[in-house]
Amino acid sequence: MNIFKIFVSIVSVIIFFSIGLAHKPAYPSFPEAALNCPVISPAQKRSACPSFPEAAVDTYSYQNQKRPALTAHETPLDTAEITEDVDNDLDYANDDMDEEVFTEDVDNDLDYLDDDFDEEIVEVPDPLAKFNRGMYHFNDKLYFWALKPTAQVYRVVVPEPMRVSVRNFFTNLGFPIRFVNCLLQANIDGAGTEISRFTVNSTFGLAGLFDPATRHCNITKQDEDFGQTLGVYGLREGIFINWPVLGPSTLRDSVGMIGDYFLNPISYVQPTEASLGINAGKKVNNTSLRIGDYEALKDAAIDPYISIRDAYIQHRQRKVKEKPSPSLSN
Amino acid sequence: MKKLTIILSITIFLIFQPRAHAGVPLDTIQAHINHVLDVLRDPVLKGESATKSKKEKIGSIAADMFDFNGLSKRTLGKNWSKFNKEQRIEFTDLYRAILEKAYMGRIMEYTDEKIVFDKETILSKNKAEVQSRIITKSVEIPIYYRMILKNGEWQVYDIIIEGISMTRNYRSQFKEILAKKSHEELLKIMREKLGKA
Repeated sequence: MNIFKIFVSIVSVIIFFSIGLAHKPAYPSFPEAALNCPVISPAQKRSACPSFPEAAVDTYSYQNQKRPALTAHETPLDTAEITEDVDNDLDYANDDMDEEVFTEDVDNDLDYLDDDFDEEIVEVPDPLAKFNRGMYHFNDKLYFWALKPTAQVYRVVVPEPMRVSVRNFFTNLGFPIRFVNCLLQANIDGAGTEISRFTVNSTFGLAGLFDPATRHCNITKQDEDFGQTLGVYGLREGIFINWPVLGPSTLRDSVGMIGDYFLNPISYVQPTEASLGINAGKKVNNTSLRIGDYEALKDAAIDPYISIRDAYIQHRQRKVKEKPSPSLSN
Repeated sequence: MKKLTIILSITIFLIFQPRAHAGVPLDTIQAHINHVLDVLRDPVLKGESATKSKKEKIGSIAADMFDFNGLSKRTLGKNWSKFNKEQRIEFTDLYRAILEKAYMGRIMEYTDEKIVFDKETILSKNKAEVQSRIITKSVEIPIYYRMILKNGEWQVYDIIIEGISMTRNYRSQFKEILAKKSHEELLKIMREKLGKA
């Protein structure tokens, strides 16, 4: 019986890899992106890909072989084609004013006033600034006094690959949120991608501990949530709100958080304390993988509160605007 | 006929390559980054004592890589015109020092992460975006460089890390500070930040 089980799993792993490797990886939507990608024969792919599950843990070298940096020969072609594409699509009316000759006395060039990024990002009002700033200081202390020390101890005890696996597991568990929101945004491609990911990662990824979907099949996560769905339908952020513990948000995204709460399997764990505990564990685990990021952002800032608020708004607006990632159909 | 087509296409390719190739944004930024990596990996510059000379070398690469005047103008936006000549010069120096201080620490933490350059997009006749990624064991961080052609050189005027524009982030801070405080006070805050009060 045991031998049979082992046999079946070996065969399924082999089948999975042949499917995964034969699958044409999804590349950015520019057709010329294909030029950046040297053809790798199936044999090369296989030799570059060690056996499972080591493959799931360490496949960076493999990933890099698929998408190396541009070489000198490929660049000119790309440039020429992209130039055409972009010029047709976008109207950069200010081009002629872009002559950047810096004169200290007379500022004739005013192109810096209406730069490209200004059109992309809209500012969000912050009438609760006093409360929000208070909560910023609260969350800051929470991070430095509780979250960071816990994550640091945890980081020493648990090796990195295991922490990555825990993160993968929670990401996989968030499937309903991403799937439903893809559907709500009428992003059928994205919903299909999420189903494929969930199926592959829940089975061959050992209940989501590994992420073979991204690593081997190039099926990337569709990071959608209810806040973004509302944004896609034209609802603006309203105002900026910095919640205690939960951190930066907006009125719209707070409503989104409530929607996502009901789609999150962890919310249904009973008793409530256990559910909270799991969420805290998830937070500690994810923090342990990114210690130093918050500190860097804070150190670089002249006013950390404004910096964090702006970073959040930029991040969310880009997420709402971004095109659905290339998926299986490519 | 087939042979002729092949020869013709190769000829055309060879004719057009050098012109399109010279100083393209992606090559420029990649060369700068490789230069930085060479400094970081330099076996001669090991240990505490070498940290200072490493930082100096990286600082001089940054001077070539970034358009600090343009960076300062863009972060201040409309407020730039309200600064007088001396204030502009001081602001540019302080802003540069703040950026250097903020990012040097992170650069020095570099171990063996992979840096991949994906593609470049020409935004307009003198602007381009180069997309790159830093790949560590646990995360993949997309970093986009916005570049401008100035005096025949492609220079960075904005870095977009994980979708967050650095220039815009500082601009929102300066804007809000200047809404309540004077230019002198802003410069004072920046001096204090650098411990040069």
